[in-house]
Amino acid sequence: MSTEIFGIEDVNVWVDALIRVLLVVGFMTVVVMGLIWIERKVLARFQQRLGPTRTGPIGLLQSVADALKLVGKEDLRPRNADPWTFELAPYLVFIPVFLGFVIVPFVLDWQIRILELGLLYFVAVSGVNIVGWIMAGWGSDNRYAMIGGMRAAAQGISYELPLVLSLLAVAMVVEVPGTDASAEAARGSLNLNEIVASQHEVPNIVWQPLVTVVFFIAALAELNRTPFDIPVGESEVVGGPFVEYSGIRWSMFFLAEYAALLIMALVFAAVFLGGWAWPFGIWMDDAPPRWAQALVVAGKASLFIFLVIWVRASVPRLRIDQLMGFSWKILLPLMLVQVLVNGLVLVYDWPEIILTVVGLFGIVALFAMVERAVRHPRPRPMTAAQLQGEAAS
Amino acid sequence: MRGILKSLMVTASTFARKPVTRQYPEGHRELPERDRAFPLLLWDEDIDEPFCTGCHACERACPVECMTVIMKDNPNHTSNDGPSKRRKIIDKFYIDYGRCMRCNICVEVCNFEAIAMNNTWQGHETSVYDRSDLVQDLPQLLVQSKAKQLQEWVAE
Repeated sequence: MSTEIFGIEDVNVWVDALIRVLLVVGFMTVVVMGLIWIERKVLARFQQRLGPTRTGPIGLLQSVADALKLVGKEDLRPRNADPWTFELAPYLVFIPVFLGFVIVPFVLDWQIRILELGLLYFVAVSGVNIVGWIMAGWGSDNRYAMIGGMRAAAQGISYELPLVLSLLAVAMVVEVPGTDASAEAARGSLNLNEIVASQHEVPNIVWQPLVTVVFFIAALAELNRTPFDIPVGESEVVGGPFVEYSGIRWSMFFLAEYAALLIMALVFAAVFLGGWAWPFGIWMDDAPPRWAQALVVAGKASLFIFLVIWVRASVPRLRIDQLMGFSWKILLPLMLVQVLVNGLVLVYDWPEIILTVVGLFGIVALFAMVERAVRHPRPRPMTAAQLQGEAAS
Repeated sequence: MRGILKSLMVTASTFARKPVTRQYPEGHRELPERDRAFPLLLWDEDIDEPFCTGCHACERACPVECMTVIMKDNPNHTSNDGPSKRRKIIDKFYIDYGRCMRCNICVEVCNFEAIAMNNTWQGHETSVYDRSDLVQDLPQLLVQSKAKQLQEWVAE
């Protein structure tokens, strides 16, 4: 059994796999450190501060220092924690994120593996880490951790649906260029490479504005970023499932969080912003050079990350019932309607501009629904005493 | 929703502004001239001696008793063919900055305007390794006034 990597023929599959895994691990660790530094710097600017400046030039080594400190710290386990659950939980949060990197398209034909069902695979593995969160919450034998774990589960499962539906809505209408000129362009693909290739002229954000917005919101929730950071909300559950973790295990959670952010950004760039393709069909005829592709992808992913940090700097945390209501009552119905419209366009071959118009209307509807929800808040639930009084009367 | 957009705009405008952080040990904020650090003694440029005559007014007024004043006959007095009109002058002056609470009373009671509150950064950056190093003697108390490092200001 042999395969081919970097143009070198006849490489043993195991060696090949090892090289790819090492590449992912190295790349991810370095980028996550950079991401943490960038987040701290950008967030500081949002508050008119400077951020880290002391360690290394403009604070570049801050993450390295933090990582060293975390690795050096004692790895504590509470006495009445469930040892297996507690110790295994970080891996279950961490490994799915690694797995997600397999399909991420960095540049044209350069990814760990090109999977025909790439998007499905991405959605599948990124859903697994909820199990890790619950395990961390349960295994710590701590009430805060337990509540945080349950919140993570509720939130993760609820927002998985709009996320999946938004990816589905894109995947079903993507126009896959035929393999040769004579072949009819097929519709629908889960292969990320083909999805990117289909956006050489116009990125999907133009055809699917509502889907883009919903994906962004759902991604925020999936990543447990503010305003959806209720599982780890410091002021409510003091760090949620991470309360009892310290040292290297805690840093694994942290690493997973930022790596997930990176993957989400890359997938967002690939699915909605057109990946390595230059916008508006520049350089359409021949693919741009690799370094230019990498720069474009990095720029598009950075845009997503910047938006995430921007939202973090601006918006306070939601309450849990608002959070669930927003997913089930607003995002999900809107996404179902969008999928329906996409299906109609697909079946009756309507012009694609309809999608744009519907999407823009969808955004207006989303705003209107949220606005209405803000105007007419739910009546407060009855207290136990009131309920008992009602039963007595 | 409009609130969210508004908050996004607010943070965006903040993002565009320059950070207000000062890198403290490298760069200092400009102090106001009436900044009140620890008290120090002033130097009479014209006669080349301290203004202080060692009258003990400040020592007696000091609520935390951080001062020690010892007076002597002025060798520069006119009776000794010197230029000074001060009959008595300060011999030794100690202020324990570790006890001083910067209440400004010594400055207010001084009849000769010989003592003032330090209005420079040296008055704030007084950390030492030993508490006894905080006790300042006469040369230490006079060095900044001699070097004209204090900011001028006139009390109204």
